[in-house]
Amino acid sequence: MGTTASQLDKGMLSEYQELTFLTKQEILLAYKRFSELLPKEETNGISYRIPMNAILELPELKTNPFNERICKVFSTSDSHDGSLNFDDFLDLLSAFSDSATLEIKSHYAFRIFDFDDDGTLGRQDLEKLVNCLTGGTGDTSLTPDEMKQLIDNILEESDIDKDGTVNLSEFQHVISRSPDFVSSFKIVL
Amino acid sequence: MISELQRQHSRGEYNYVAGDGYPGDHHSLRLRRLSSQMSIHDFPHYNPSLSDAGDSEAGDHGQPRDLRSLPLPMAIKKAKLKSRGIQVPVLSKVELWKQEKLKKLRKFQTKAREFLYFLVLWGKTIQKIGGNFGGGVKSYFLFLRFLVVLNFVSFLLIAGFVIIPSLVFRQVGTSFMNSTGNERCTIYEPNPPGLVVFYNFFLDLLSGTGFMEYSFMFYGYYKNTMVENNSFSYKIPLAYLFTAVFYFAFCLICIIARMGTAARVAVATGGSTVVNYSMTVFNGWNFGCLGETATKLKQKNLLYRLQVDLEEESLKKRAASLTLLKKFGLHSLRLLMALLVLGLNIAAFYGISYATTYSQEQQNKRVNKESDRIQDLFFEYLPSIVISVANFLVPLLCDQIAKVEHYSPSITVIVALLRAVVLRFVGLGVLLFTLWDQITCTGNMDDAKCKECSYNYASYACWETRVGQEMYKLTLFDLLINIAVLVLVEFPRRMVVDNWSSKVSQLVGRQEFVVSSNVLGLVYSQTVVWTGALFCPLLPLINTVKFVILFYCKKITLFSNCRPPQKTFRSTTSAFFFLVVLLLGWMLASVVMIYSIAVIHPSRGCGPFRFSDNMWLIIPTSFYNLSAATQEFLFFIGSQAFTIPLFSLSGLVMCYVIALFSIYGKSVGLLRLQLKRESRDKQFLVKQIEELSR
Repeated sequence: MGTTASQLDKGMLSEYQELTFLTKQEILLAYKRFSELLPKEETNGISYRIPMNAILELPELKTNPFNERICKVFSTSDSHDGSLNFDDFLDLLSAFSDSATLEIKSHYAFRIFDFDDDGTLGRQDLEKLVNCLTGGTGDTSLTPDEMKQLIDNILEESDIDKDGTVNLSEFQHVISRSPDFVSSFKIVL
Repeated sequence: MISELQRQHSRGEYNYVAGDGYPGDHHSLRLRRLSSQMSIHDFPHYNPSLSDAGDSEAGDHGQPRDLRSLPLPMAIKKAKLKSRGIQVPVLSKVELWKQEKLKKLRKFQTKAREFLYFLVLWGKTIQKIGGNFGGGVKSYFLFLRFLVVLNFVSFLLIAGFVIIPSLVFRQVGTSFMNSTGNERCTIYEPNPPGLVVFYNFFLDLLSGTGFMEYSFMFYGYYKNTMVENNSFSYKIPLAYLFTAVFYFAFCLICIIARMGTAARVAVATGGSTVVNYSMTVFNGWNFGCLGETATKLKQKNLLYRLQVDLEEESLKKRAASLTLLKKFGLHSLRLLMALLVLGLNIAAFYGISYATTYSQEQQNKRVNKESDRIQDLFFEYLPSIVISVANFLVPLLCDQIAKVEHYSPSITVIVALLRAVVLRFVGLGVLLFTLWDQITCTGNMDDAKCKECSYNYASYACWETRVGQEMYKLTLFDLLINIAVLVLVEFPRRMVVDNWSSKVSQLVGRQEFVVSSNVLGLVYSQTVVWTGALFCPLLPLINTVKFVILFYCKKITLFSNCRPPQKTFRSTTSAFFFLVVLLLGWMLASVVMIYSIAVIHPSRGCGPFRFSDNMWLIIPTSFYNLSAATQEFLFFIGSQAFTIPLFSLSGLVMCYVIALFSIYGKSVGLLRLQLKRESRDKQFLVKQIEELSR
């Protein structure tokens, strides 16, 4: 246990403090939790890439309906398989932390909701989003008519340029009118 | 740039690393002086020329912050940091020193913030509540915490200026004015002779009589002592009056300050009754939700909410297409129901008035018999009981009536809230009016009972103490009822619902924490305390303790017995609404205070004002003891030469603020238009490119 803390020296710690919204204690806790997910024989924790299914074992992400999207968005791996190294993990925690700004949170929220990664929220994205929010399986979801009515309403309210999709600026415009967003877009270890 | 647009449009995937899709990024990037090419090695899509315009005057103010708020992967941020580090030798010594100081200041700020967060009362608990039950319930607890702090600080104020000097100077001081007038009115014997048994002790505690009556609790104990040395003089009556007035002013300032922050938020987010689907969907998920059951519950809530909103919308569309005859029928039905509600309210008020009169009569009749104490206690608490029953029954009936009225759900909530508010405040007002009626013989000074002492001496030897006692009983009863409901209703309900699955229990379901009625209860208690503070200086302290107990009780019931709310209460605008209602309560209490200070004759047998005709008269008499210079200064402040310029200046400031407000509103509209045009331009350009490349 003593060796895990020593992998993070002072220089790296202060660098992480400057590049993220996390405090020193939060970074150390993140490192501890990250090391618990490492396989036993791996000693260099910082650069190892933990696969997605191991990350999803964390209790904070386990039951979140957006957990896979979160991993895919923050992952910097070339194969886009959702695996996270320690840097990505800190990016994740920084965006979801208490002190992150509204811009950062809304930016990442937009990317998480953009299921097909095309830069805008189209009808398909919105439908998948609503299904995630309501646990849409069979009898516990909205009927197709209700879904159509809902998505029409959403687009009418937030699609300012009337191109049929919600882009980042429109999304941020909606989010900025709700002060509860910052407190609900939060994951704390 | 154009090739990049084209590439992005043809490819499926969108690259977020480029500054394109994130206009807000330009501003922060522009501030940084990054021109090094080293950073873009790993990320060829990133175009630094999009960003900075080399604004050197912008300086390094925001620099340490900026890197964090870039939505870029860590590797790029590290590279930027490194490249920024290389540029540092280019800076002059002065700028280096400035940077260092700023960094140290920022570190200190973050440390201070962390420390303060640790100190904030109940911070962690309220976060937990907000996470599990949503913003509406959280706003209730935030409001409760605000009231606890307000009461505690007011108590410190009162203790510092009235109670402690009274304690200290009681033996030392001299009497301020001497007794004049009728000797008969000055007889006041609060302590009955005889042994005090424990049973009596407990009953006295509950009703504020006996040993409690002639103590620091109530107005009657304070004397009009005055202490005067060479350099220091302290008059208790003056201190008492000024403290009471300042207490009210202080509460008003706190409420308005808090309203300011809430109003700012409410205005920015727009109206509360407009159902905003985008807000629900984009903002709906609480990422802090842990655990399988919590997640499923939240999903069920969201589903229910969306279904309800969609249904309401289709209902509205249907209602808008009603025929004229049906509309007329609906409106006349609503009028009838409103009259019915009015009738119910009047019945409740009459009940309260009658109960108060009867209770006062019984209390005045009471000879000091040791028997029948329980019955006496019942009579004493009769007004409180009637008020609580009315506050419970009438809203219940109004809810049933509301089902007939067919308002839309949001309007129904508002109407129910307004009715409950009116009921509570007017009920309290009726109680106070009845008391006044009894004390001053309906304001008729020629009545036989009031002629001699200008108040009803026979029944009220010390009427201020009696009023204080009534307020004390109201406060105590409110707390007892809350605890009783908790123990006798909520816990059994949960046990029944959890362990005995039948149709009835499924229908009834677990308790839901109704925010609005709980908040009205808080506002009502606070109004009672404000009304009683003049007559019972320890009441804020009692109220602080009461609210702390209430906090923990409500927390326990919330986590053990309640399910997460079905319909989310709009927490931002509702915080503002709570404060408005609290302000109404404050106004009611201040009317009572002003009337007591300025009109009613103080008791001749007790209290610090026993020798004046009015509580207010202390001030003019002491005024002429001040030095001539101070007198002149105070006269000047009250004169027209000062107040008219003051008013015109404040009018000017208000006009300026209103102008600013309208300008901001207009610029929001302009920015929206700009957004529209920008994306239309982009679409146009993309189409042009496609045409050209063909």
